[in-house]
Amino acid sequence: MIDKLSNQSRIIIATVLSFLFFATYDYYFIPKKDIVDVNQTQQTQSTTSNKAPAVENSAVSESARKVPSNALKNQEEVIATVKADRYELHIDRLGRISKFYLNEEKYKDENGDRIQLIDSELKPYPLEMRFADENINTEAFATPYVADKSSVEVKENGVKVTLTQSLSDLKIVKSLTFYEDGNYDVSISMDKPQKYFLTPGFRPNVAVDSYTFHGAFIKEADDTHTPIEDGDATGKERFIDAKIAAGADKYYTTALYNFDKGFDVVVSVVNEEAPLLFIKGSGDLKIHGYIGPKEYRVLHRIDPRLTDIIEYGFFTFISKPLFLLLSWLHSMFGNWGWSIVAMTLIIRLVLFPLTYKGMVSMNKLKELSPKIKELQAKYKGDSQKLNAHMMELYKKHGANPMGGCLPILMQIPVFFAIYRVLQNAIELKAAPWIFWIKDLAVMDPYFVLPIAMGITMFVHQRITPTNIQDPMQEKIMKYLPLIFTFFFVTFPAGLTLYWFTNNLFSIAQQYYVNSLFAKKKEVEIATTKKAKK
Amino acid sequence: MFESMRHLALFVLKLYQKFFTLFSYGSCRYYPTCSEYAKWQILHNGLIRACFYSLLRILRCNQLFPGGIDYPVITKSFRKNSFALNTPQHSVNIRFWFVPKNEKSFYVIKAFNQSQKGTP
Repeated sequence: MIDKLSNQSRIIIATVLSFLFFATYDYYFIPKKDIVDVNQTQQTQSTTSNKAPAVENSAVSESARKVPSNALKNQEEVIATVKADRYELHIDRLGRISKFYLNEEKYKDENGDRIQLIDSELKPYPLEMRFADENINTEAFATPYVADKSSVEVKENGVKVTLTQSLSDLKIVKSLTFYEDGNYDVSISMDKPQKYFLTPGFRPNVAVDSYTFHGAFIKEADDTHTPIEDGDATGKERFIDAKIAAGADKYYTTALYNFDKGFDVVVSVVNEEAPLLFIKGSGDLKIHGYIGPKEYRVLHRIDPRLTDIIEYGFFTFISKPLFLLLSWLHSMFGNWGWSIVAMTLIIRLVLFPLTYKGMVSMNKLKELSPKIKELQAKYKGDSQKLNAHMMELYKKHGANPMGGCLPILMQIPVFFAIYRVLQNAIELKAAPWIFWIKDLAVMDPYFVLPIAMGITMFVHQRITPTNIQDPMQEKIMKYLPLIFTFFFVTFPAGLTLYWFTNNLFSIAQQYYVNSLFAKKKEVEIATTKKAKK
Repeated sequence: MFESMRHLALFVLKLYQKFFTLFSYGSCRYYPTCSEYAKWQILHNGLIRACFYSLLRILRCNQLFPGGIDYPVITKSFRKNSFALNTPQHSVNIRFWFVPKNEKSFYVIKAFNQSQKGTP
C-alpha cells in the first residue's frame, strides 16, 4: 500500500507519525518539572490611580508569575537604610533592595548625582521572593516585612539586618549581612518549608549600549560560563547546581552566588526578551550576593572566582590576561592612559622577532630587485602569473619578504580582545590621561584622538609599499583612514588611544625599514660609482 | 547541507579577499595565497578535508617556513567516461588542471587566463 502513495503523502505521514511519537514520549517519559509552563499573554492590569506595580509579566510559575492585584500599596516605602563608605542601599516593605547608590566620586552622573543601580521601572528588585503557592504568594505581596533596625552603618565585619514577614500560617525570616565591598550574605528561614523563587533582580540599566554585553550571566555547575544576552532568552533555560547567577550591564552587576553549595536557576523572559533569573528555594536558603560595579579589584577581594562575572565575550580567554597586564601596568604608572600606551608597546615588542625576520629577508630581497622588476614588466596586468613567478623567485633565493598569514590572523583575536577590554573595563571610567582627556571610557570631546588616529593611519599607508591592482580595492584603501576616523569618533577615548599608539609604532617601524633600504641603496650607488672610476 | 556550507565558505572567502585583505595586504608567503588555496580546496575537495588542509596551510604561513609555490592536493575519483573519449572537439575553457600526484590525489593548478583577474 505504501508503495502506491506519492512522495508528498509519505512525507506527511512520516511527519504526523514522528510528531505523535514525540508527543507521547514527552507525555509519558519526560519527567514533569514543577515549574508550569509560563503563559506570557496574561498580564496584570492596573489603573493609573493604583500604585501597585503596573505590568508584571516576569515570573516563573503561573502562581508566582503575577504579582497579586491586592499587593501592598506603598510597597516601596523604605523600612531600612544601610550606609557604607562606598554605597548606600534601601530596603523596601517587601524586603527587597529598592535603591543602591554608589558614593565614590567617579560614580557620579552628568548632574553630579550619585549613580543609582536599581531602575525603578524595571521590576523585580533584587531579593524579591515569589511563592509557588498562589495563596501564599498573594498574601506575601500584601504583607509588609518588619526590619529590626531602620538604619545601620556597615562596619569592617559586616552588619546584620533581620527582616521578618508574618503571614497567617508562615513566618519568613530574611537576615541580610552587608559588607563594605558591596557583597552581602542572605539567609532565609521559614517555619514551614515552602517552594519559592528568589531573584538577584533585573540587571542594572545604567550603562547599556549596543557594543557591549548586557543581560544575564550564569556560572554553571561544571564552571562553564553561560551569558544570555538581552533578546536571546527563550524562558526555557534551566540550570542545576549553578554557582553564580547575575544580571549585568556594561559596568554594573547584581548577582547571587554560592560556590560551596550550588543552586538551581530558572530563566524567565520579560519585556523584549530580557532574561530574568530566579533561584529555586524551598524552606531555608543560604546564599551570597553582590551589587555594584564590575571592578576587578573589588570582586577579587570578595572572592577571586567572582571575577568571572566580568564577561568579555568570545575572546575572554585572551581578554582576561590582557586586562591583568593592563592593571599591572597601572599599578606601576598610576595612569590608565599611559598603561594603554605601554601595553601597546609590549604587544608590539612580543611580535617584534617576526617583524625583524621579515626585515632581514627584505634586505636579502634587495639583491633580487632587478629580477623582480623584470618580472613585473613581463607580467604587467596579470597578477596571478606575476605572483606565481615572484614566489618561485623568492623560494629559489631563500628570501621571502612576506610576513605570512598566520601572524596576521593571530593578531585578529588579540585586537578583538583589546577592544573588548577597553570597552568593558569600568576601571577606565573617569580615568584621565593627559591634558584634555578626562575620561578614557567616553569619546574624546574635542575629536583630537580620532583625527590623530586617522592621520597616522594615512601616513602609515603612504610609507608602506603596496601593489594593489584592483581599482575598487585601491579606492577603499585610500578612503580607509577617513572611514576609520568617523568610525572612531564616538568610540571611547581609551580605544582610540590604543589605535593611535599602535599606528605610531607601525610608522616608526616602517620608517626604520625604509631607511635601512635607503642606506643600502646609497652604499650600492657609491660602490658602483667607485667601480666605474 | 554540505553544499550550502560550501557556498557559505566560498562567500566568506570572497568577502575576505575583497575587504579584509586591505589590512593584511601582501603578507602571504605562498602562491597561491592562503585564501586562494582554501578556495581551490573547497571547490574540489571534501569540505572537512578542505578545511583541514587550509588550516594546515595557514599554520605553515609564517616566517619559520620558506613559502613559495605550494599547490593544493586533493583526492578525487574521475569516472572513466568523463575523460578523453567524450571530450567535445571544440575548445573548452579550462579553469583548473588536476595534475596526478599518485593513484588518488591530484595537484590543483589554476589555469593562467588572460581575461581572468587574479585575486591576492
